[in-house]
Amino acid sequence: MSAPLTRTEAEDLLYREALLIDTQRFSEWLELFTPDVEFWMPAWRDESTTTENPDRELSLIYYKGRRNLEDRVMRLTSGLSTASSPLPRVVHQVTNVLVVEADEAAATVSAAFTCHRFDVRMDRTDCFFGRYEYHMVRQSGAWLIARKKITLLNDTIPTVVDINAI
Amino acid sequence: MDVTRYVDDRTKDGVFRVNRAIFTDQAVFDREIEQIFEGGWVFLGIDSQAANPHDFFTATIGRVPVMVQRDGEGTLRGFVNSCPHKGARLAQTRAGNARLHVCPYHSWSFDSAGRSKAVKSHRAGCYSAAFEQTDHGLAALPRFEVYRGFLFGSLAADVPPLANYLGEAAKLLDLVADQSEEGLELVPGQVTFTYEANWKLQLENCSDAYHFTSAHPSYIRVLERRQQEMSADVVASVWENSDYWKEEAQGVAGGSYSFANGHVLNWGIFGITPAIPLYEKAGVLAERHGEGKRDWMFNMRNLTIFPNLQVAENASSQLRVIRPIAPGLTEMRTWCIAPKGESDAARRQRIRQYEDFFNPTGMATPDDTVSYENCQIGYAGTVEPWLQGYARGMTATVEGGNRFSELLGMSPERSVLADAQLCDETLFHSYYRAWAKRMAGGSEA
Repeated sequence: MSAPLTRTEAEDLLYREALLIDTQRFSEWLELFTPDVEFWMPAWRDESTTTENPDRELSLIYYKGRRNLEDRVMRLTSGLSTASSPLPRVVHQVTNVLVVEADEAAATVSAAFTCHRFDVRMDRTDCFFGRYEYHMVRQSGAWLIARKKITLLNDTIPTVVDINAI
Repeated sequence: MDVTRYVDDRTKDGVFRVNRAIFTDQAVFDREIEQIFEGGWVFLGIDSQAANPHDFFTATIGRVPVMVQRDGEGTLRGFVNSCPHKGARLAQTRAGNARLHVCPYHSWSFDSAGRSKAVKSHRAGCYSAAFEQTDHGLAALPRFEVYRGFLFGSLAADVPPLANYLGEAAKLLDLVADQSEEGLELVPGQVTFTYEANWKLQLENCSDAYHFTSAHPSYIRVLERRQQEMSADVVASVWENSDYWKEEAQGVAGGSYSFANGHVLNWGIFGITPAIPLYEKAGVLAERHGEGKRDWMFNMRNLTIFPNLQVAENASSQLRVIRPIAPGLTEMRTWCIAPKGESDAARRQRIRQYEDFFNPTGMATPDDTVSYENCQIGYAGTVEPWLQGYARGMTATVEGGNRFSELLGMSPERSVLADAQLCDETLFHSYYRAWAKRMAGGSEA
């Protein structure tokens, strides 16, 4: 008999995800997502609201399907992208983890994040911060990410923000 | 300013070179702000950004904060976004709706036509007669004009009419404006980014066909992967459906047009393909505008209206506003520009293609902007100050237009017809001729 997702389990999953990105273990990172995952970072519509409908409004990043994240990882690690070579050093702090809703099969989790990025190429340090909203589903006994929404609060992008800095 | 120090324009001897100092020198930058950005026509936005009575949006001309405001009767005007009292910035947001702007500092107020409504505690103010005879309204931009919904302003009064400034390049704005009878709109959600390099790198890159296969191989690899495994999840893009970017492609692939005053177009043939969101309107647009103009709407087009507007229609459709901040720092404000009234499916496709290709959080633009930064660093190398990046196409460029510009009844100053390999660089000459003329103190048109 399976139990609803606990905060400890949620924290464990989010911290593990952060560590996988920070240590560039991207293939393991991809395994955390369902094949039909929605990965979404909305744009800002004005000073105080983000876009809400990805089909009629612009997002900073919007993908439906893990396959698209595989493309992003491929590009990031290909050695063929000037912007990604060498990869910046990043560390994510994930905090304020709350299980908003949970049952045996699914859960909604919210969290806050800060990502410090050191761009070795330009000797430049940036910090990105915002909120996460996850939808987790239990598949074959493991919790997977079926939806990840990233609300980036400081959205004036210094040259580039890739999937490893949010 | 002796512009021959910066632009070596001797095309009859086969020479056109630009000095690296043009991108790095603070004195050059300061003069650019005065002569080019604060001395002539600058793009501000499109009319649908202030669609309804009392709507406004804010913009910048050089260093000057600007507000474009629609009044209650529907008239659009441009103002300096600064209270005449102490100079404080009046409108604080990028857009909004205001019958009345009240300055947050001392409560002077202005109606949506820019007229002074009230000076707080006016009667008790013991003002002089001279003050009472002064207009306390907002300073209007010396020049403000609209072309097909594209709004321009000038801080200098002695500029030619906007239509003269745009000249024949206006026909390329028509290609954007005519895609829908309902007009244009900016898709909600704006994206702003900065890069640590000179504004003219963005100017050039938009028109630079030569960099695509070199700067974007990682993106091309993604395209190849998608070509092999198309699925419903994949963001369909015109690039997978076109050979335009393939170095081995044969035949006429596109080319360039150069216009007076520094406007340029780099273009390529995509064909009438379902990968272009406009495809659903292909028949209607041919009936309305003729096949020649319709086909042009489906061509890949990267248009620059000098000095700060770019409309790129390739993977999707992007409106860019270039804002120079320092010799080595530029801000880009970008939007997905789209014809009003397109279907949900077409709009979704346009948006997905846009995010993937154009966003600074996407897979193409960062490899451009990082290259600009590498250029900016490299420009310090002044052992040989003259750059060699303005030479491709020198023996291919001809005066006037060609059979493709004739389809639009458009007469450019110069044109190049190219295969996929030529990648013309002579269109940059138009930028730097306009630049040199303005920097030397000459006026436009």
